[in-house]
Amino acid sequence: MPLSPKVLIVDDEERFRTTLGKLLTVKGLQVDNVGSAREALALLGENNYDVILLDVKMPEMSGVEALAEIKKINSGIEVIILTGHASVDVAMEIMKLGGYDYLLKPCPVEELLAKIETAYDRKREREGRGPKL
Amino acid sequence: MKIRGGQPRGRRLQLGVRGRDGGAISALNINRTGAPMSGSEPLDRAASSLVPPTGGKTRAKDSFDPIRHQLLTGAILLATTIVALFSSGAVLAVCGAALAAVHWLSGRRWARAIEKAREEKRFLDEQLIQSQKLAAIGELSAGIGHEINNPIAIIGQEAEWMRHLLQEEPGKTEEISDSLREIVRQVERCRDITQKLLNFARKMEPVFQGVDVNRLVDDMAKLVEKEAKLRSIRVIRIFQSDLPALFTDPPLLRQVVLNLLNNAMHAVGEKGAITITTSASGRDFVNIVVSDTGCGIPKENLGRIFDPFFTTKPQGQGTGLGLSMCHGIMDRLGGRISVSSEVGKGSSFSLALPADK
Ligand SMILES: Nc1ncnc2c1ncn2[C@@H]1O[C@H](COP(=O)(O)OP(=O)(O)OP(=O)(O)O)[C@@H](O)[C@H]1O
Ligand SMILES: [Mg+2]
Repeated sequence: MPLSPKVLIVDDEERFRTTLGKLLTVKGLQVDNVGSAREALALLGENNYDVILLDVKMPEMSGVEALAEIKKINSGIEVIILTGHASVDVAMEIMKLGGYDYLLKPCPVEELLAKIETAYDRKREREGRGPKL
Repeated sequence: MKIRGGQPRGRRLQLGVRGRDGGAISALNINRTGAPMSGSEPLDRAASSLVPPTGGKTRAKDSFDPIRHQLLTGAILLATTIVALFSSGAVLAVCGAALAAVHWLSGRRWARAIEKAREEKRFLDEQLIQSQKLAAIGELSAGIGHEINNPIAIIGQEAEWMRHLLQEEPGKTEEISDSLREIVRQVERCRDITQKLLNFARKMEPVFQGVDVNRLVDDMAKLVEKEAKLRSIRVIRIFQSDLPALFTDPPLLRQVVLNLLNNAMHAVGEKGAITITTSASGRDFVNIVVSDTGCGIPKENLGRIFDPFFTTKPQGQGTGLGLSMCHGIMDRLGGRISVSSEVGKGSSFSLALPADK
């Protein structure tokens, strides 16, 4: 990968996000991680992330709410939802809000990596074509 | 839903039961005296307002008293059934009531009708329990998804990280053992959840024994007291000394009390008080109340705290099974659990157990 995507992991489970961070880093990605949606939103202003990995079930602000906020701040960021439990309702909500994909935990890193790459490709493609209305 | 009874053999009977959208049940209008009763009223009130026919035929009068008695009790019982079972099969139960009324008026044997209605009620009760069980399983599996998949995801990642280290950076043994420790921790977390689930699912018949409630509660208080002291939490006991005898399952009751104390400790955190009160309501109920000066529970959560897997505790700290277990146990013991709480002031959980009479 010539250009490596900048990824933000948002998950209240500390060990999950730090180890995932290490795994993605050794694959050549630039990774930050935070434990809550609020921290994530605060980081968006000063960083240009390409892809955000977002947990659904978090205290205070859920991943679904966070997704809506992220899209308001920067609709170009691709968001992949990671969740421990599949629910059709939640999945629909996420797609409606412009989420890129929806992945179930546990999920092998290779699979996640592939999703991040296609999400990143899509983002660059769109940016190359200029802003869409 | 609409059910209408007929007007048998010239006797002016009008029996209409209407319910809308699974909502209120209304209108059982039975008119034997002439002027039509209009409007609709709740079924049980309508049933209890059935009046004996004035004057009229001897046969109807002769058979009236026992019938009236049965019909009233039967109809009220059925009315209650309807309210409880409306969504899953009120039609049958209502038919039962209608049958009973028709039989009364046609002077036939109503007892059989009522017996039949009772059978229907039993059948519906069973169906309801079954559907509640299914709903509970649905809820549980959703919860299991959340709670078990998180630790499993961590275990998977730690394994991948260890593989990476072994292949690429084999010198980092300390990091490898750290991953191993994490795996063991997460396995324990899974085991904890499955264990609680098993306890939850196991329908062990309670064994009822005579219990000294104050003693039992005191034992549980002692268990948390040591830690409470370290965290400057006072444990206050207000015990009524002459409680009525209580026959219950001691280990199950201990589990409930301990869970409440545990939650209270958590809610207080540091500095505060937990008050445990025992008392009797007349000779019918023994009450155990666990109050704390902790964080309290927001109104919007009050309806959910007894749901399996509902927790506000950080990942890995609470499974959200404590209170739902308490609720299940109290059901089995024939008692009740209730809560009142104010955010910032504290919470109070009350147990009421039927006393042995
Ligand atoms: N005494 C209390 N004060 C304030 N909140 C409480 C209290 N007891 C229970 N709660 C709330 O109800 C939730 C559910 O409680 P429950 O005991 O079922 O699960 P838990 O304590 O979170 O986890 P577990 O008991 O399985 O370790 C808690 O997370 C908390 O938000
Ligand atoms: Mg608890």
